[in-house]
Amino acid sequence: MQDILEVISSRKSIRRYKPDPVPDELLDKILEAARWAPTGENYQPWRFIVVRDQETRNKIGDLAKMGSGARMTAWHCMGHTQERFAGIADPVKRERVLRFMYTGEVSEFAKQSPVVIAVIGTLMEGSVDVPYDLSAAIENMLLEAHALGLGGCWVHGPVASTRDAKKFKEILGIPTGMGQYKVIAYVSIGWAAEARKYPRPKKSLDEMVYWEQFGQKERPRHG
Amino acid sequence: MDENRYANELLFRMEQLLYHELSGCAPWKTELTGIDFIQSQNIAGTNENEIVSACIKRIKAAGLVEDITFSIGCNDILLRLEIRGCRHMLKETLLRQSGIKPYNCLAANMILDQLIEKLGYATTYVADLALEETEGKCVVKAAIYATPEKIGAVSEWPND
Repeated sequence: MQDILEVISSRKSIRRYKPDPVPDELLDKILEAARWAPTGENYQPWRFIVVRDQETRNKIGDLAKMGSGARMTAWHCMGHTQERFAGIADPVKRERVLRFMYTGEVSEFAKQSPVVIAVIGTLMEGSVDVPYDLSAAIENMLLEAHALGLGGCWVHGPVASTRDAKKFKEILGIPTGMGQYKVIAYVSIGWAAEARKYPRPKKSLDEMVYWEQFGQKERPRHG
Repeated sequence: MDENRYANELLFRMEQLLYHELSGCAPWKTELTGIDFIQSQNIAGTNENEIVSACIKRIKAAGLVEDITFSIGCNDILLRLEIRGCRHMLKETLLRQSGIKPYNCLAANMILDQLIEKLGYATTYVADLALEETEGKCVVKAAIYATPEKIGAVSEWPND
């Protein structure tokens, strides 16, 4: 069995894509990876809508831009985003980043990514784990895409609010009843047109791991 | 039986659970709470001042609040609501006491819904809900976007 830690730790969220198409055989592998994700009681509540159509992706991009922009404009006006990005020393770069956020352009990239995969789950078959199963499937897709040399990004923005989730369903013809399908996110897939910092800054294990009991940071000796 | 207390305790438990499940995006999911009432009230108006005023009039007439005052400013995207004597103050207090910042103002949901439904606003977003229990009021700051082009019209919103 191969250790896949290198695949996991070198994956980055990619938001800029080349226009080159994603071959069907690679796309099929990504969907196949999703199919093998862990799922409570093997319910497999996930359904995937693969979108290549430019007009549909434009609608999704616009929806995502408006959702993120509406929130981030307000956060900027409240001073929250400035605090978040205070660590960027160059004021010109900081302003560029802030503008990228509060205009919502940060979430618009469905228009450029050659493939968008909407990840939805049926609420009608008895699964008690729909959001968790779908999240596991998304992670599998992202890791497989990365292992194949593709880039991807998990995007919650356009479905974050109840109204936006309904609009997203309408774009893709998904039944809009609240008891029918949950739309959790979309995944953009394509050839990366950016090289993001690697490794990304991450908290150390010391900051997040407890041993035996919550709050216990000292690793006990064993064996 | 204190029906108001009963209703607020139910809402409190639901919102507590939603926050526990969804963390910080719980407010984004609850924006439709309360809209059924206001959608039954035949709110009419040709601009945001008329719509907001009409909503407040109906919300007060129904006894849901004692009063709401409002202002619109900061590039016309900040709707500030000051709500006094709200029937749901108990829900907010119970949430705060359980360690959760109140996040779902039903009166604000109603007003924002009517800006979307009656004036075709592109979208709205509740940015802050501040509880001032000793004064018996809440202050809501909501971003209202008449068109998509209004997104990004940033300014410095005043601190209360």
